[in-house]
Amino acid sequence: MNVSQEEAQVSLSAVRDTTVRTHKAIASAYANPLLILWGMLWIIAYTTTHFYLYYAFHIFTAMAAVGGLGTAIIVWVFHSKGPIQETSSPRLGRRIAIFWILLCVYIPIWLFLLAPFSGLQCNAFICTASMFAYIVMGLWFDSRFMIILGLALTAATLVGFYILRDFYCLWMAFVGGGALLGTGLYIRLRWR
Amino acid sequence: MAQLDNIIHQPVRLQIMSSLVSLDQNEHVNFTYLRKLLKLTDGNLGAHLSKLEQASYIKIEKTFVARKPQTFISATGKGRDAFAGHVAALKEIVEGSQTQIETNS
Repeated sequence: MNVSQEEAQVSLSAVRDTTVRTHKAIASAYANPLLILWGMLWIIAYTTTHFYLYYAFHIFTAMAAVGGLGTAIIVWVFHSKGPIQETSSPRLGRRIAIFWILLCVYIPIWLFLLAPFSGLQCNAFICTASMFAYIVMGLWFDSRFMIILGLALTAATLVGFYILRDFYCLWMAFVGGGALLGTGLYIRLRWR
Repeated sequence: MAQLDNIIHQPVRLQIMSSLVSLDQNEHVNFTYLRKLLKLTDGNLGAHLSKLEQASYIKIEKTFVARKPQTFISATGKGRDAFAGHVAALKEIVEGSQTQIETNS
């Protein structure tokens, strides 16, 4: 079998293109509904909190509940009825779920240890801790997209916390929520 | 030493294997989705899948999802190893580090 350098180069390009196309198709079917869901929830929760600060706890509890339920439904639908399914027991999925449950347990513990703190500090802490988890997930799945999203939203949280304190909630609504929603819509429109 | 693989080297089969090895080892993809992704016809994809299945590089399973028959395809361990070897051999050719590449056929 004789293969020239040019032919080998063309074959490697085809491998790269198909791999990228497959990853994008999976992201389009899987990640973008999650990004759109969480983007909309962030925008609604932070905008509402800006105007009704007293109800912040209730608003964010509701956001976490709706988001958690929505995420579970999307993941379930994708893995049970989607085009790509798991052939064996979803051990990886279970480990991911355990990781996020542990984070939900540890965040209140850390908050308890760090108390007293302001509402702003509490919110910025939860956001950066969640983004840290995104980055860990990105490293786990070798997903540059999740790593960049985690780092960008961490930076946005810090800018809002240190520079735009008076408009923190609006900043988080439109920069954080906007980034999530915008990325979800971009993937939906461009990666089909 | 990396080996070129005659079966995988065919352009359509190379695309099929690239797509399948992009999935996790415990995941499989349905036929229609793969056909749309690779922009192939039913007949063309089916023929190339048969070749790969004969070489035990892929596994084809027919099942029912919501009472509708569906065909799912996944790369086997043997297929993943052969693909990795083929890609490594292509890289060696491109880098010009090898003048003689072994083939398995």
